[in-house]
Formats: sequence, structure tokens, C-alpha cells
Amino acid sequence: MELTAYQILTPAASLVAVLYAWSLVARKKKTIWEAMVWTIFWFSIAAIALFPDLLDFLRRITGVRNRQNAVFVTSIGILFFIVFYLVVRLEELERRMAKLVRSIAVRDMRDDDQ
Amino acid sequence: MQLRIIAVIPAFNEGTRVGAVVRAVAPYVDAVLVVDDGSTDNTAEAATNAGARVVRHIENCGAGAATMTGIAAARSQGASVVVTLDADEQHDPRDIPSMLAPVQDDAADIVFANRFGRRNRIPFVRKFFNAIGNGITFIATGRWVPDSQCGFKVFGPRAVQEINLQTNGFEFCTEIVRESVQHRWRTAHVPIKVLYSEYTLAKGQSFANGVRTALKILLRSFIR
Repeated sequence: MELTAYQILTPAASLVAVLYAWSLVARKKKTIWEAMVWTIFWFSIAAIALFPDLLDFLRRITGVRNRQNAVFVTSIGILFFIVFYLVVRLEELERRMAKLVRSIAVRDMRDDDQ
Repeated sequence: MQLRIIAVIPAFNEGTRVGAVVRAVAPYVDAVLVVDDGSTDNTAEAATNAGARVVRHIENCGAGAATMTGIAAARSQGASVVVTLDADEQHDPRDIPSMLAPVQDDAADIVFANRFGRRNRIPFVRKFFNAIGNGITFIATGRWVPDSQCGFKVFGPRAVQEINLQTNGFEFCTEIVRESVQHRWRTAHVPIKVLYSEYTLAKGQSFANGVRTALKILLRSFIR
């Protein structure tokens, strides 16, 4: 079986993601359940990269046959990644703002006590 | 061991209700702490007049952030047990003793109220959305809680020290279940009475809010 660069890099990246998830479990930052969900997700990505025929059912459902359409599919994938990244950043900002507001609230209460 | 019990009531624009809730809760706990989550009405004033200690958010951050602020403030006030309740009078403070019992008996680190554990008049829509909330919570955490989305909870000494909520909105209920899994807290479920009025139903989450909360829970459990 001849592998493309994509078919080597994607499973490798998936393996790193899975190892990272379980390292978070070891550091008690992730639950075993979350790591299992994460593992299933990344193993699925790796499996699809290695055995694209697994997605034949999608071809049957969507009717995408031309390779040129792969360009569009890839573009959608990249856009999806960008949106995902923005959502994560937004979540992070929201979390930081709340942390700030909470700190001020508790500090004000302590100041009142003194 | 003498437990210092503090009630934490997160409140946002509950000026008409919070005073009565504070007065009703006070006999069952050592102190009442109201977290005014950036209200634009007289919530803080009403709570103070009723005898509660008020902690104020300068900006509205959501029920999760307000609950965590309340727990942090209660910790700094020397609380060993924290009881959280909604500020809209839907929880009956007379259920507090039965909710506290598992913690006082050292049988649980966290006690979840269960509105479906006894005969309550709960609208079908509420039951339906709660079932969805329970399902999503199970998918995200791997633990089944019969009423995961109820704001009425008791945190025992261990939970009070270890809890660290990261979410701000209504998804905090699911995060509490996650925390109980993460820290291996012993859990208990106590059936409670729930009092739905037109007011509480009107203040309930909209469908769009529910969808947003569900997406946030799944996103958070994935990116954490």
C-alpha cells in the first residue's frame, strides 16, 4: 500500500492528539470519559485518512464524484477549522472576562470586611 | 464536627423575589450570600435589606460565574458546606434539611436535588428539555444524574474546597456533574418540591438558549 504524505501526517497528528489527551488525564485536567471521546474522534480521523473508502457512504449520500470537488470540500474543512478556532478563542476571552469580574467581586467583599 | 453552612443564591434582576427567598432560607443556614450578577434593578438592595451578604458582579456574567463567585466568597467566609438555590422562589427552603442530611451524615460530597423524584406539577416542555439536558450531560460526563439541570445543590466540605467551575452560563450544571466525576465525589440525590409559577416559567430558558447551552457543553467537553 502506497501512502501519501497526507496519509502519514494525519495519523501521526492524531496519535499526538490522543497521547496529549491521555497526558491531560494523568494530570487530572481531563476525565477518562472525555479522553475516550477524544480518542474515538482522532482515531476516526486517522482511519479516514488511511482508508478513504470508509467515506464511500458519504459519496453515495452527497453524490460527490469529481476530484475537483475535493477542492471545495477541503476549503470547507479549512473554513470549519477557522470557525472552530475563533469559537475557542471567544470562549477563552469570555472565561477570562468572567474570571476578572469574579475576582473583583470577591476582592470588593473582602475590602468591605476590613 | 461543626459545619458552617452558607447558602449561595445567584441572582440577576430578581429584586421582586430575592428578599423573600433570603428570609425563607435564613433559618436553615448560618449565613446567606447573594451574588448580584450585574442586575439593573434593586436586587442587591432587596437582598441586603432581607439580611443577606451581597457580592456584586460589575457585569452580567451568567449563572455559572455567579455560582462560582458565591462559592469562592463562601469559602473566604469559612463555609464548610454550601447550599445553592435559585432566586426566583421555585425551590422550597423547607427541603434544605433533607438536602443537607447526606453531607451531615458524611455519606455524600455533593447532593443533587431531584425535581422528578416526587409528585410535582412540572410542565411537559420543562420535563422534555430537562431530559435532553440529562442526556447531553451523560454524553459529556459519563455520569447519569436524574435532574442534572437543577440549581438546588449541597456541596460538602470536600466539594467546597475542590470545585473550580470554568463555565459561565447555564452549562455550569453539567460542569458540576463533570467535577463530581473528576474529583470522585460521593453523590446523593434527594427528591424535592418545586414551585413553578408564571413568573418562574417566564424566566426559564428559551429554546435558543437551550441549544446554545448544549453546544457549549459539547464544545467545552471536547476542547478541555
